[in-house]
Amino acid sequence: MGTKLIPVNDVCTHHKVEIQFIQSLEEIGLIHTKLVKSSIFIDMAELAKLERYLRLAQDLEINVAGLHAVATLLEQIENMQNELASLKNELIYYKKIN
Amino acid sequence: MDYIDYYKILELKKDASTEEIKKAYRKLARKHHPDLNPNNAESNKKFQQINEANEVLSDPEKRKKYDKYGKDWQHADQLDAQQEQQRQYQSQSRNGGYSGYSGGFEDGDFSDFFSSMFGGGARSSGRSPFKGQDYNASLNLNLIDAYTTHKQTLTVNGKQVRITIPAGVDNGQKIRLPGYGAPGANNGPPGDLYITFNIAEDPKFIRKGNDIYLQEEIDLYTAILGGEKIVETLNGKVKLKIPAETQPDTTLRLKGKGFPVYKKENHFGDLYVKWQVKLPTNLNADQKELFEKLSKL
Repeated sequence: MGTKLIPVNDVCTHHKVEIQFIQSLEEIGLIHTKLVKSSIFIDMAELAKLERYLRLAQDLEINVAGLHAVATLLEQIENMQNELASLKNELIYYKKIN
Repeated sequence: MDYIDYYKILELKKDASTEEIKKAYRKLARKHHPDLNPNNAESNKKFQQINEANEVLSDPEKRKKYDKYGKDWQHADQLDAQQEQQRQYQSQSRNGGYSGYSGGFEDGDFSDFFSSMFGGGARSSGRSPFKGQDYNASLNLNLIDAYTTHKQTLTVNGKQVRITIPAGVDNGQKIRLPGYGAPGANNGPPGDLYITFNIAEDPKFIRKGNDIYLQEEIDLYTAILGGEKIVETLNGKVKLKIPAETQPDTTLRLKGKGFPVYKKENHFGDLYVKWQVKLPTNLNADQKELFEKLSKL
């Protein structure tokens, strides 16, 4: 998982998006691309993130600043959900052994 | 197949304007978008309904058909065909011409109701399919649990998932169950479920990779004169020989008595037993005298 590189130009063509959008996402640290022999590539794992931002931008007309805020909040939600799931399972475990 | 009230889904009145439909769709899409509601299957479903409702109501042709047939949508094609036949007959009578209906949409992931009424269904907005959200869960185990392959049920996003935990699973190890995440949208595949194992430390057995470390006490006399000791391992009891003059902290290696190697059947790490020599306390006069004699020999 996550090592295959995809040319960013292909991503732009496929999703009908300008490269400036991807550059803006990279500038604010939402995604990371790699420069290999003067061509820009994106890792598979990063592609999933990029596609999520694309959907949010296209479906909900959220700008790059909004995406940054969304990403921060989603990360917080995910952490809380993970913690909640962990605590729930812990509770089930202790209920079972007592 | 039940009738779906698209107006109700978008919380609109039947005479809603195009602008009102657009506004309602955006408002609800923001609320239920799967990317904004990770690990929420209910929102994902709701988002698909909102999309479907918008697809119909924002398209004047589809909305017209939907409004025209309403609850009789099941007979829409039949009624259309009858009307078309009648129209064609009249037209042919007039000028002998012929025109057939050609409509239809590409396949999508719309409801049966939508497919039945509109003959398939794809979003004209050109949204691409995307994978469902991945779910993350953690599972707490004790060391003994991780020693054997066993099945366990855990609750993820309100659903019970039964998994097989292979022996030798490590603390912090993450496994992926493909397709156990949230459903995909627009015909996209479902997400995956990632389970992280939290293995509690055992007070007696210390695990380092596949090896187990254990400390056992022996008394001074056994350490000096030698003897035997029954030691509890993760796999039952073993009788160990203690050679005479065993020094404190001497470590004994028992090959293949450690932890199972993950997904390698009949492969085990080693067990290391460290002897802790317990010195006697509260010596009586005779014992002291004997020790004094020993020290002077």
